Amino acid sequence: MIKITVSLVIMFIAAGIIMTVVFAKTAPVIKEAKEREAREARQKMMPDADEIVEAGEWLPFGKHAKYFECKKAGETMGYLISGYGKGYSSYISILIASDRDMKIREIKILGHGETPGLGDEIEKDHFRSQFKGRTVEQLEVVKTQGTDRIQAISGVTISSRAVTGGVKEAMKLLRARYLGVKE
Amino acid sequence: MNGKISYWELFINGIFGENPVFRLALSLCPAVAVTNSVRNGLLMGIAVLFVQTMANVTTSLIRKFIHPKVRIPSYMFIIATWVTVTDLAMAAYARDVYAQMGLYIKLIVAFAIILSRAEVFASKNRVIPSFFDGLGMGSGFMLALVIIGFFRELLGKGSVWGYQIIQTNPLLIMILPAGGFFAVGILMGFFNWIDMKYFGGKGAGGAGGH
Repeated sequence: MIKITVSLVIMFIAAGIIMTVVFAKTAPVIKEAKEREAREARQKMMPDADEIVEAGEWLPFGKHAKYFECKKAGETMGYLISGYGKGYSSYISILIASDRDMKIREIKILGHGETPGLGDEIEKDHFRSQFKGRTVEQLEVVKTQGTDRIQAISGVTISSRAVTGGVKEAMKLLRARYLGVKE
Repeated sequence: MNGKISYWELFINGIFGENPVFRLALSLCPAVAVTNSVRNGLLMGIAVLFVQTMANVTTSLIRKFIHPKVRIPSYMFIIATWVTVTDLAMAAYARDVYAQMGLYIKLIVAFAIILSRAEVFASKNRVIPSFFDGLGMGSGFMLALVIIGFFRELLGKGSVWGYQIIQTNPLLIMILPAGGFFAVGILMGFFNWIDMKYFGGKGAGGAGGH
C-alpha cells in the first residue's frame, strides 16, 4: 500500500515539476505573443484608422473583454469590440468591427475550442461574411436558406448560434454606449 | 521482445499489421471526428505521432519504477505531461503551427491508442523497440487519418486539401459524423483484405504476439 502511494506521489511530483518549469518558461512568451497578435488583428480589422484607443471593458460570460474607438484624423470613424459566445465545447472569442452607425463591417474569430473539422467552420469566410452590413435586429440564426438572417453551417448549429449571439450582445453594448439605445 | 523482429518490422507493424484505426479499431472517435478533410487528418496525425513516440519512450524508460497496480494512472500521467508540454511549447514558440494544430493537441490526452501502446508494448520492452513501436503506431494512425480524410473530403466537399476538384458536393453526408463511420468501415475491410492477402492475416512480420 505504502509502496503504491510512494510510487504515484514521486511520479506526480516529477511530472508536476516538469510542467511547472515549462509553464513558467512559456507563459510570458505566450502572453506577449497573444498581445501582439491582438494588436495586429485590431489594426487589420480597421486598416483605415490611424489611432485605435481603448474605450472600456465589459464582461460577456464573466470574461474580460474590451472595446475600442477607432479614429481617423482625430474623428471617430468606427468601433472595435471583442466578445464571447458560448459554443459547443468552449467559449468562442470574437472581434467585431463596427461602423459609426452600428453596422457591422467585419467579424473575426480570435480563438475557440470547438470540434476540429466541424465547429471550426465558423472561422471560414463563407460564414463570417454573412455578418457584413448587419445591424443588431438582423442577427438571428436560421437553418434554411435565406438572405435576411444568418445561415447556420450544417452540423454546426450550436457554434453558429454562439457566434451570432456573441456578436449581438457586443453590438447591443456598443449601441447602448454610443447611441444611447436602451434595451 | 524475442530479438527476432527487426525495427523495420516493428515500424511496418504499426502501419499494416496492427494499424491503430483499421486493425486495432482504437481511437475511432478522433478518427471519425477530425477526418472530414485531408489537412485536418494530417495535422492530427502529426500531433499523435509525436505524443505516441514520446509517451512510449518515457514509459519504457521508467517501466521498472511503475507499480503494476497503479500503472494505468501512471501512463495517463506520462501522456498528460507530454501533451501539456507540447501544447505550451508550441503555443509559445510556434504560433503559426499552433493556430492550426492547437485544437487537436489537447484532445490527445484521452486517446486509447496511446494508452494501449504504453500498456501493451512500452511497459514490457526496451527503449529503442518502444521508440520504433511508437513511431510505427503514430505513422499508422496518421496514414489512416489521411486516407479517411481524403475520401471524405473528396466525396463530401468535392475537394482535396482545400482545392476544389469537383464543382458540386456529391455526398454531403460524408463530411458529417455518419459519413466517417462509412469511410472507416469500408477502409477497414480493405486493410483486412491487404492483411489476408499479403501477410496471411497475422500482421506484417507476425509481430502481433499478444
